[in-house]
Amino acid sequence: MEKLTRLTETAPERASRYGTLALFWVFAIVSIYPMIWLTFSSFKSSSEMFGATWALPQRWRWENYVAAWDYGVSQYLISSVIVTVASTTIIVALASAAAYALVALKLRGRAYLYLAILGGSILPPEVSLLPLFRTVTALGIYNTYWALIVPYVAFGLPFTTFLIRAYMVKIPLELAEAAEMDGAGPFWTFWNIYLPLSRPILASAALISAMRVWNEFIFALTFVESESVKTITIGMMSFANALRGDWAVMMAGMVISVLPIFVVFLVLQRQFIGGLTQGAVK
Amino acid sequence: MKAQTLRRIAPYLFLFPSLLLLVAFVYAPAVENMVYSLFSWSSVRTDSRFVGFDNYRELFANPIFWRSLVNNVLYAVISIVFQVFFALVLAAVLVAGVFGPLLRNLFRTAFFLPSILPVTVVGLLWQLIYQPTIGLIDQVLWATGLQGLSHVWLGEEATVMISVILVSQWQWTGYMIVLFMVAIQAIPNDLYEALRMEGANRIQQFFHITMPGVRESTLILAIITIFGAFKVFDIVWVMTAGGPNNASEVLGTHMYRSAFRNDVSGYAAAVATVIFFITLAVGIIQIRLQRQD
Repeated sequence: MEKLTRLTETAPERASRYGTLALFWVFAIVSIYPMIWLTFSSFKSSSEMFGATWALPQRWRWENYVAAWDYGVSQYLISSVIVTVASTTIIVALASAAAYALVALKLRGRAYLYLAILGGSILPPEVSLLPLFRTVTALGIYNTYWALIVPYVAFGLPFTTFLIRAYMVKIPLELAEAAEMDGAGPFWTFWNIYLPLSRPILASAALISAMRVWNEFIFALTFVESESVKTITIGMMSFANALRGDWAVMMAGMVISVLPIFVVFLVLQRQFIGGLTQGAVK
Repeated sequence: MKAQTLRRIAPYLFLFPSLLLLVAFVYAPAVENMVYSLFSWSSVRTDSRFVGFDNYRELFANPIFWRSLVNNVLYAVISIVFQVFFALVLAAVLVAGVFGPLLRNLFRTAFFLPSILPVTVVGLLWQLIYQPTIGLIDQVLWATGLQGLSHVWLGEEATVMISVILVSQWQWTGYMIVLFMVAIQAIPNDLYEALRMEGANRIQQFFHITMPGVRESTLILAIITIFGAFKVFDIVWVMTAGGPNNASEVLGTHMYRSAFRNDVSGYAAAVATVIFFITLAVGIIQIRLQRQD
């Protein structure tokens, strides 16, 4: 088919195809060159970085990475991993339980309950930030991992519930009814029927939640202050401020902070894009 | 008897933790915020004083507030151009099979990659790219003999906002392209086939089939884009923190600075309430438009 259209292509059509192709290459380069530049620069010396912007590093300076790692990036990474794993686990657990109840159980006011959960997704975090800051302080969790995990879970629930519910709706209700006939309780049905059947969407939901938590900014900026609890997004800001001038080391730190997401993305690209497009939310 | 009761309340047990967290950490703070906006208070002073709508009066008289609002509008308009119109066209070209599958996947991945980066990395990276003389932009300008166009991109009031907004477009346009590609792929292929039989070229196919076919998705994605433009905070905070001279202030940074730097919490709560009503209005428009379809 493709071949056929190309054979019958007229000269102006061919010109416009090559023009389009050239344009797309330009866009693609604009899109990824900054990342390539970041990676190469992170291996240079600072003077080399600006003097020979376009060149490959004369020598691959891994010591930049060692310096960045020792400078605190390792601690930020640990905090990010802890907060992300904890938040994601709790979000997916609570959201799948809620989605299951909304789909398979007898509820009074089901539509309103669903709306009560979904409504949270239209509230920007900025609107709740100031009171939330006081709540976090009052609970005595300010400047701990919990100050991030608890709000992340609360703000992550609406979208994740939406995502999992949309999937669970497609599981035939007869399965649950048959189990109930055999005397199974709702917890048994949830654990043995709905969770196993929802595995693909649970994976996507976990992936999306994890990425959002990993990249979250405003709560991480506001609810913790010690370097030992800062996550990587905020940690990188103090890191960069401390290293103004030592550009190459700073860029090495930036590469380290991107690497985990990058690896996850490359390995799980299909689920990544699939999951994101199901919900169409940034 | 006891088992019976358990069975009846079980459904609510599944929902209870989620609802509790949402009420305590999302809804209640949003309401509290509105109450705060009617008081004059700060974290230093323990007394708070009811002032009615004084904070709002102060807000509407503050040029920085208006400047922030204008910047948010600018952010929304430019984002619509790039992330809706531009993204739709590029997605249509990618789906139409102008390139082979290999090249198509390569372009898609290349466009999508910036969206997985943490915003801090994006902000810091582009700070370096915008650096006068040594940054990539100026290097390109010098190399092409266009050094006359060089600016202190993030240091001049005239260029700072547009520079930050363009970084956002760099990060998110590819993401939107992928979303549009999914929407376009859902259009039945025989529609295109039929029009092709009549001798319609690709541009005609785009206007007659693709555009109407993705109308609904376009609407939703446009709303999401506008929503994002009015709650933007992170990229601006990382790159300029609203400076120089409040030139790149947006509502989010104006609120944050008022609350946590200038310690005028009542005023900050009023700004947050304005953000709330703007995003609420956008949300209502979305629901209305979707009902019409």
